[in-house]
Amino acid sequence: MDSIILGQVLQYAGIAIEACLIVCVAQSARRGRLAPVGLYLACQLGASLGRAFALQIYGFKSPQYSYVYWTTDFLLVIAAFALVCFFFRRAFRNEEKMWRFARLLLSFVLVLVVGISGASFLRNFVLLDTRYIVEFSQNLYFTCLVLNTLLYILLVQMESTDEQLGLLVCGVGIQFAGPAATMALFHLTTGERFAAALNSVALPVCTLGMLVVWAYAIVRVRDKDKNKGLQVPRPEKAVLAEVTAD
Amino acid sequence: MIVAVLILILSTALFFFYFQVTCQKILGRQFDREYFQSIANANRLEFPSLRKSLEDFGAPVDYSRLRMMLRCDFLALTYLLKNAANVNQRYTYDERLLILYFRWQFLSLAVRRLLKLGENTAILRLTAVLQYFANVVGQRVNAVKFGNLTAADYLLNL
Repeated sequence: MDSIILGQVLQYAGIAIEACLIVCVAQSARRGRLAPVGLYLACQLGASLGRAFALQIYGFKSPQYSYVYWTTDFLLVIAAFALVCFFFRRAFRNEEKMWRFARLLLSFVLVLVVGISGASFLRNFVLLDTRYIVEFSQNLYFTCLVLNTLLYILLVQMESTDEQLGLLVCGVGIQFAGPAATMALFHLTTGERFAAALNSVALPVCTLGMLVVWAYAIVRVRDKDKNKGLQVPRPEKAVLAEVTAD
Repeated sequence: MIVAVLILILSTALFFFYFQVTCQKILGRQFDREYFQSIANANRLEFPSLRKSLEDFGAPVDYSRLRMMLRCDFLALTYLLKNAANVNQRYTYDERLLILYFRWQFLSLAVRRLLKLGENTAILRLTAVLQYFANVVGQRVNAVKFGNLTAADYLLNL
């Protein structure tokens, strides 16, 4: 029970940070580049508020709360996949060939996951309950985690200078890895009490971790931009430009 | 079953990997100049000399003294982070993350010592966190002007 209360407290803290970050992204000078991040945060915020509302109205042990929880979880995983695709696009914005290959890979992976999960759904259709949705979410979370790691490795290989993207990718990695591990543990122990408690705490903790890293990434780049704006133009640069033009 | 075990192992490893990489990225922040030396001198912190001895000679001082030195420097710097020229009197999110990272590395130092895996990597990581904290404190103190006080004078009056 304590883990549930702790999970709820962390979730409310996450809601507050999500709202602040959405405002931060909306006010950012690079809001165009950060729009998908803002959208993902809005999805997270919507899901958190929906869950809190269902919890308040129906209670923790009600089937309605369970449906709301797992439906929003499913939608969040889809949004997360779209976010990873956006990160790939941002990473390869100057390399059209690589982006074409990445697009193909992402489409193939999506079809593969939908296929495998669809087969699992059809096999267990009569016995459809949260156990199978847990498995489905676990597969998708893990796929996103693998894709995210692949992207991180590519960024290191390319020696990318996009510092913000690196931090955003790391934040997503934390968000995906924690729940994927606890979900696998939950699945292995077939819902044992400790695993269930860990699962209810790990998701808000990892979300909070991701939000902290994202906040750092967004605010740091904003401060850098501000500092650039405050820089006094150096006269020798203009003189140098004139000389080199001559 | 096998897939779930595989997912569990890989995800746990990746979680720690991302945590480590994120902290390293934060620690990689470039400061406009190196503030840490003046902060270390003003507060008699020992991590710069520890780092230097490790980089030059490759051998740290005895283990119990090393732990004590790192712990004392950590306590002093976290106090300064919270109280020196900090209007809000609280840590920022990235500082909290690095405090957690420091504690994790401190634990890893003990484990490495126990398993005889070589402690130098962990010690260098710990001193990197301390150097970052000292740089942040120095930058904050430098940004606030207190009459004719220097950064060292300000810290001595704290």
